[in-house]
This record gives sequence, C-alpha cells and structure tokens, in this order.
Amino acid sequence: MSQVGGTKAKRKPSSTRRKTARGGGDQSVTAEIMLLLNTLRELAAIRSTAEDAAARILDSAEGLLALADKEEAEKAEEAILSIMTACGFHDLVGQRVTKITETLDCVIASRLTGEKPERTKASGMRGSEIALEGPSHNSAAQDQARIDALFAEKN
Amino acid sequence: MALDPSMPVLVVDDYKTMIRIIHNLLKQLGFVNIDEASDGTAALNMMREKDYGLVISDWNMEPMTGYELLREVRADDRLSRTPFIMVTAESKTDNVIAAKKAGVNNYIVKPFNAATLKSKIDAIFGEPS
Repeated sequence: MSQVGGTKAKRKPSSTRRKTARGGGDQSVTAEIMLLLNTLRELAAIRSTAEDAAARILDSAEGLLALADKEEAEKAEEAILSIMTACGFHDLVGQRVTKITETLDCVIASRLTGEKPERTKASGMRGSEIALEGPSHNSAAQDQARIDALFAEKN
Repeated sequence: MALDPSMPVLVVDDYKTMIRIIHNLLKQLGFVNIDEASDGTAALNMMREKDYGLVISDWNMEPMTGYELLREVRADDRLSRTPFIMVTAESKTDNVIAAKKAGVNNYIVKPFNAATLKSKIDAIFGEPS
C-alpha cells in the first residue's frame, strides 16, 4: 500500500522544478498556481451544483410519490415544475466544465511555450466588449436579490 | 402593456435542456405560442419574420450573444419595444448594469424557479404576482 505513489512522492512539485529551471520565473509560477487554484474551485462548485440539483430532484420525486394516491393535482404540478427547473443544472455544469477545460488548455499552452498564461476564452472579451464570467460562486437567491435591487434603482 | 397568453414568445438559449425547461414553464403559465432559437442570430431573423410579445434570452451564446441580440433589437425601430428578459448565469454587477443600460426589461439569474420567471413576466406586464 505504501508503495502506491511512493516514487511520485519523491519528485519535486512541478512548480518548484519550473522555478528552479528558470531561476526567475516567480511571476509565471504564481500565475500558474492561481489558475490551478481557480480550477480546483470550479471543480468544487461543480460538485456542489450537481449535489444541490440531485437533492432537489429527489425531494420533488419523493413529494410526487407521496401525492400519488391523493388528488392534490396542484401540489403535484408544483413538484413536477421543481423537477424540471432543477434539470437546469445541466447548463450550469456545462458552463463550469467549459471554463475548466479552457483554463487547463491555457496552462498546457503556457507550459509548452514557457510564456505567461493569458486570460482564458471564457473570461475574455466577446464581440460585444463585455467580459463574461459564467456562473458565480454565490447562491442564486443572493445574486437574484442583488440584481433585483439594481433593477429597482432608477438608472 | 397587458399580459396576453396567446402572444408569441421567443425563447433563446444554446442549451436544449434550458429551452425545454423554459418552454414547459411558459406552458404552465398559460402561454401557447412559443418559438425557440439557439442563438442571437437565429432569434433576430425570427423576430424580423414574426412579431413577438416577449423574448426570453440567455446571454452566453455563439455566434451572437444575448446581449448583442438585445442591442440589435433595441436599435431596430420595429423591434425596439419588444419586452426582453435575460435569463443567464452571468451575475457580475457590471454586466447586469450593462444589460440594464442596453434596455433589458428584467434579468433572471440561473438557476431559477417557476415563481421567479412568473414574477419577472408579471412585473413587465404590470400584473400582480
């Protein structure tokens, strides 16, 4: 058991190796580490989004099950709509995975060329000159409340 | 502006799942005339062919984003007054403000629920939620 990964454990972390090899690439290494940390954060968010959606789907399905013998059509409809909206996790998971993929592409390109990582496509500008960030790390309810407040303001 | 459930509604999103979800929610709210487009360019072409009473659009699409669609719609004399709701994962304040300045009528952040969609539609058409 202790042999698993034993050889790898003796290797210096890749970031250290790069730093040593370059002898002055601190900025580049820091940028790479930041990208990787953001990638880990995105992965955690994927897990959380999928878990939340699965819980909502299960809650609604259980609600439907409990209503199966009753004639409470309105409640059943509400539960079904909740199941449907929970399935929107597919969109959010897809957007987060795209961000991760583009970040990893960026890291790989940086390692290959030895140049400083550039902004990923997902966080870069689009034709409309608006930088898109994708799903946030706040709760949707918090974001919606903040946006509603912005819309309540006059100009 | 009164809410007429028979008015044509255009749903724009590049994720088929989201189109399906919004389509179903609109049907539950009583809308019967619902069309779909997978990006801004297709939506704009459809809007030039048919008068829509409401557009519900995602932001992050290619080749034309929802924001670009909104700007095209607001710049077009015939389409400029079409109610427009942005339904998107983009919640950065600067982007919300940009959409508001571009003339979006309301803004829904994903993930959302049926009650939020209904309340935003009602708010545009002056219906009590």
